[in-house]
Amino acid sequence: MTLLEIKNLKKVYTARFSNQQTEALTTVNFSIEAGEFVSIMGESGSGKTTLLNIISTLDDATSGEVFLEGSPLSKIKDKEISAFRRNTLGFIFQDFNLLDNFTIKDNILLPLVLSKTPVKEMEERLMPIVKNLGIEAHIDKFPYEVSGGQKQRVAVARALITQPKIILADEPTGALDSKASQNLMEILKGINEAGQTILMVTHSAQAASFSNRILFIRDGAVYHEIYRGDAPAEQFMDRISKSLKVLSSRGEQDE
Amino acid sequence: MNNRFFSSLALRNIKSNKQLYIPYLLSSITIIMMFYLMASLLDNEFVQERSSSLSPLFVLGTVVIGIFSVIFILYTNSFLIKRRKKEIGLYGILGLEKKHVAKILFFETVFTSILSIAAGLVGGLIFGRLFFMLLNYMVRLPVDIIYSTSSLIVLATVGLFLAIFGITFLYNVSQFTFANPIKLLKGKQEGEKEPKGSIILFILSLVFLAWGYGISVTIPDPLEAITKFFLAVLLVIIGTYLLFISGSIFILKALKKNKQIYYRPGAFISISGMLYRMKQNAVGLANICILASMVIIAVSTTLTIFIGAEETLENRFPYENNMTLFGDVEDVEEMNTRFFELQDRVQNTVNAEGLEVTESESYRYATFFGGVQGNEFVFDESYADQENPTVLMVLPLEDFNGMTGKSYTLDDDAALYYHSTNAYTDSELTLGNKTYRVAEVANEFGEDMDLVESMAIVVPDASHLLEIQEDFKEQYPETNYLTIDAEVGWNTSGTEEQKEALAKQFNGEYGLGAGGSNLYDSRLLQREEWYGMNGGFLFLGIFLGLLFTIGTVLITYFKQVSEGFDDREKFQIMQKVGLDRETIQESTRSQIVWMFVLPIVIATIHVIFAYPIVRKLLLIFGVTNETTWLLSFVGVVIAFAAIYWVIYRLTSKTYYSIVK
Ligand SMILES: Nc1ncnc2c1ncn2[C@@H]1O[C@H](COP(=O)(O)OP(=O)(O)OP(=O)(O)O)[C@@H](O)[C@H]1O
Ligand SMILES: [Mg+2]
Repeated sequence: MTLLEIKNLKKVYTARFSNQQTEALTTVNFSIEAGEFVSIMGESGSGKTTLLNIISTLDDATSGEVFLEGSPLSKIKDKEISAFRRNTLGFIFQDFNLLDNFTIKDNILLPLVLSKTPVKEMEERLMPIVKNLGIEAHIDKFPYEVSGGQKQRVAVARALITQPKIILADEPTGALDSKASQNLMEILKGINEAGQTILMVTHSAQAASFSNRILFIRDGAVYHEIYRGDAPAEQFMDRISKSLKVLSSRGEQDE
Repeated sequence: MNNRFFSSLALRNIKSNKQLYIPYLLSSITIIMMFYLMASLLDNEFVQERSSSLSPLFVLGTVVIGIFSVIFILYTNSFLIKRRKKEIGLYGILGLEKKHVAKILFFETVFTSILSIAAGLVGGLIFGRLFFMLLNYMVRLPVDIIYSTSSLIVLATVGLFLAIFGITFLYNVSQFTFANPIKLLKGKQEGEKEPKGSIILFILSLVFLAWGYGISVTIPDPLEAITKFFLAVLLVIIGTYLLFISGSIFILKALKKNKQIYYRPGAFISISGMLYRMKQNAVGLANICILASMVIIAVSTTLTIFIGAEETLENRFPYENNMTLFGDVEDVEEMNTRFFELQDRVQNTVNAEGLEVTESESYRYATFFGGVQGNEFVFDESYADQENPTVLMVLPLEDFNGMTGKSYTLDDDAALYYHSTNAYTDSELTLGNKTYRVAEVANEFGEDMDLVESMAIVVPDASHLLEIQEDFKEQYPETNYLTIDAEVGWNTSGTEEQKEALAKQFNGEYGLGAGGSNLYDSRLLQREEWYGMNGGFLFLGIFLGLLFTIGTVLITYFKQVSEGFDDREKFQIMQKVGLDRETIQESTRSQIVWMFVLPIVIATIHVIFAYPIVRKLLLIFGVTNETTWLLSFVGVVIAFAAIYWVIYRLTSKTYYSIVK
């Protein structure tokens, strides 16, 4: 089943004090099946964050459309957009975006509280997730009292707790060292294997190697894609590195 | 690296932290302005000349605002520096030595203090003049009250605030010298910790409040009220801060424990936010509460004095015409003839104008100072003894019956008495060498009796007055103040013009300028000046009310704006994970109970407990009508709540527009 479909997406930024325009996305087309784990890679400034923001409804496209389970996101009313974000999407950010005034537990429960979920149900959902992510010992601490890797696992828990249709992650390993990155990616992979659809933006070939499919974007369009298939991790890493090399050398040739 | 480098760096820091510094500077300027205005009133002609009890009250006001300034500036500064910890921590990591950082902080303090002190003084001068002009125009007193100030006051203001800014500098430096850079980098994230021993703080707060309230509730007389008022105010202020700090944390934690309450969107966001900066939150609320109490007391009391002007005039001058006859120390007995002669003269003069005396009252009395010990009145020859503060007034039955319209009879060894504190319950009382069987009567002697501890004794006739005096003179030959004095008051028929003409005639003969041992006062002639004076009190009351209201606006504004900037990032994150605007509004709405209801309710409780002591103070100004006071108190509470509601709404809109 196609979960997410992106058709002819285009985004043009207009600078605030001049008429200068930046075309961040020219035409983007791709779709994601339910249960997939897709990575998006590309050079800095190629439009990855822009794309993710539009899918997250944090930003509007200039033209084109994003369909979730066949229905266009642009048709969601302003009033419903927060509830939609809360219930349908889960977010993981590069800089964690945890709130210092909440304990770890409250940070995780935040989207549920905003949806007015009964206390009993919240607690029932919390425990399995934090146990699974190995952070149950820290739930009464505050974010500044735990390590970066633990923070990101808290963010994952916060994204998972609403049982979203899709998790959107923007460089989730960006602020972590390689061991913590490895650990986080294993967790994401596990979640995916349990059926969760994930769309992740990353710069790291190692992180991307945990997904089943990789989209490369350049100059605001999907340029190339590779599937993992049944390939073992090392072989897949190899293919990723090669693709990245090709991608950047083509870029240089163009200039 | 020279000073020039550091000073330009300091200037740049201030500019680049505009968001933080503009509210900080604005509020410092306003508080300096407030202090300067208040201190200038100490020098004000009206305050100095009109009533001897006014000056100490303004000294009190100035001290309170002074203390308040210290707390407020330290509070806003701690807010500011906390948000800059990361930036300043970076200096350390980039290789600036601690003494260099201190230098930068020094120049920052110099710039901000010079700017705010200068602007505060100029603003105070302009505002004071303008506002006095406006109030003079509105109240229309017979003589304008002039705003004045002196170089001494300017100097005191500059000195005080330089000292306060000096303390902020030391505080800021200590924040950076004793902390490691990593901690500083994290400084902004960490929430405030609950103060140690908050239970003890809570108990202490109750002790202070009970002590302050206790002084007010048990205050025996107005003179005591003036001296103890300051202590009571101070105790209640300290108690309020402690109560808010310990109490609010206590309640917030309890709310957080209750899952059904805590895990609802509005409460979730606001409770956790308040706990995150619990001390700051508490100090801010306590500030608002104290200012609110001051507004309510200042305005409601002066309003009472103003509304009650006619009544106080009548208390002070019970009759249209009043005459006090001062006795002769050398020839005490002379009064017994002068008293009757004078009443005849009055009668004749009135009749000569074709008018009649419609009502009158007259009595002779002897005054003794001393104290009641057991069932004896112990005489004090110097009348300055603190141990024996009782004022004893002895008057003959004849005059008492005439004055009250009653017809008591007394045996030769019997007397009637009234005691202002109602403490005397014996059935016998020894005065001089004579012991009387005594019976208590109600206060027929005027409200003035209750100003200080006093006793009135009615003896069978005027010869007893002389006998008692003789006895005391024998016991204390040094005594030189014993006389028999008298009061005569009367109303007449006739039109206002006729009455005025008559009053002027009496005034010429017996008035203050005429000299002699009889002093005449006309209510009619005093009225204008009386209203002028009471209008002056109202003027000051409104002025103070306005001053404190500005303070309230300031704090509320500062609290909302600085918290808004503090919370902005959090709300942005929460919006990303699905917080909608309605919930933001809901969370700002659930502040109402805290920001609006709590300070007003506690301020009202303060004012209710201040009632007894304020009532005693009002007695000094001749106000005896409690209904007027209660009504104006309720009116002012409602009016202030309404004004504060507007302030609250406007500032919480500002907060909302910052975070959304
Ligand atoms: N708010 C904006 N206004 C104008 N231009 C923008 C804005 N946001 C992004 N851009 C531009 O759009 C282009 C794509 O930016 P985007 O943030 O999507 O890149 P990215 O692929 O996420 O890069 P990185 O890997 O560095 O995060 C860039 O050229 C960027 O300068
Ligand atoms: Mg990006």
